[in-house]
Amino acid sequence: MDVVVGITGINAIDNPGPGIGIAKSLKEDPELSVQIVGLAYDAMEPGIYMDWIVDSAFLLPYPSGDYRAYLERLRYIRAQTGLNFLFPVLDAELPLYIKYQKELEAEGIRTFLPSLEQYKLRGKDRLEEVAQTIGITAPRSAVVTSYEELARAAEDIGFPLMVKGVFYKAYKAFSLPEAASYYSKIAAEWGYPIIVQQVVTGEEMNVVAAGDGNGNALGMVGIKKTWITELGKIWTGVTIKNDRLLAAAQAFIERYRWKGAFELECIVDLESDTVYLIEINPRFPAWSYFATGVGVNIAANIVRSALGLPVTVADYEPGKLYIRFTDDFVVDMDVFQKMMLRGERR
Amino acid sequence: MDSLRQLAINEEGFVFNPATGESWTVNSTGLYILKLLKEGKDEDAIARQVATEFDVDLETAQRDVVDFIEKLRSYRLL
Repeated sequence: MDVVVGITGINAIDNPGPGIGIAKSLKEDPELSVQIVGLAYDAMEPGIYMDWIVDSAFLLPYPSGDYRAYLERLRYIRAQTGLNFLFPVLDAELPLYIKYQKELEAEGIRTFLPSLEQYKLRGKDRLEEVAQTIGITAPRSAVVTSYEELARAAEDIGFPLMVKGVFYKAYKAFSLPEAASYYSKIAAEWGYPIIVQQVVTGEEMNVVAAGDGNGNALGMVGIKKTWITELGKIWTGVTIKNDRLLAAAQAFIERYRWKGAFELECIVDLESDTVYLIEINPRFPAWSYFATGVGVNIAANIVRSALGLPVTVADYEPGKLYIRFTDDFVVDMDVFQKMMLRGERR
Repeated sequence: MDSLRQLAINEEGFVFNPATGESWTVNSTGLYILKLLKEGKDEDAIARQVATEFDVDLETAQRDVVDFIEKLRSYRLL
């Protein structure tokens, strides 16, 4: 079946977006004949030029701007390419796509996204509630909106503690003045509330998975990052089978009837056998190709599920290694010119 | 013991814990002891077999076996 899939996050740089991994995954499904339309926000995003994976590429206006201009651009891209499915994968654009998913579908562009209610579960102020629901635990935390509340929470939790924005930024503070300075910094940049959280120790382990919206998993793979970059991004990793971690992901899919891809970031204290939920990402992580590489093609299963095609949820072996590497290539200036002048490469 | 049972151990002494992603290397003596532990043998039985297999006296074997088992405990494998 011919599917024309738009994918954002094709910024395959040192802090890569998830797009190229998804594109590679879709191309590897032997029964799906997928054309990949790369959707970029900058003419220098490497994925635009990777024509062996990305068949055509278009620039989009920023999602924070006028949504009508954004939708108009998508309509144009659909008219040019036959775009009939879209994977938005960047945090900044998810609210827009979630809000307008029905409008897009009415125009022939399907997505596979959580509802707004489900999407709100990823807020750090919901972490303890979600962790409890899916059978694991979360670091003790408090939602604060004033210095007084910050001081009270710090006294209760103790130092060191994490000071976090609801969606972005996290700093470790060792004293109240330090915590107060991070509090101001995050509030100024991202607004309120601020989360104060217990520091937990252990091994960081993550799960990438997807739900079909009816409580069924479309695949899941657990991993441990064995080497990370200065930005904390995975460079090498290994598949693991931690029963409690995978059971938590399964419960997340079943209990919340989660629709679409997600990543659970956890810290596992091996001494006390405690799994702490640290973060829920309501999208694919940048390393999602790892799952495809071990036989669990979650991206293809999402497209298949959306199109009503048969889905096979494969198992995987622990002990498979993931290795990211740098590569480079050369193209003519005319591709860049086309992107700058026309905003597209076909 | 559960952790120990699920370890993937290859013939060259590479040990991988599929539940945590941790890996170690062990020498031939460690590999021998690990295999016997996985078979459910106790410390005394393992020490006797090590003494025979590696041609050392029983006291030395017992010391090494206890030492190795303590190491496994520190890695939460026992």
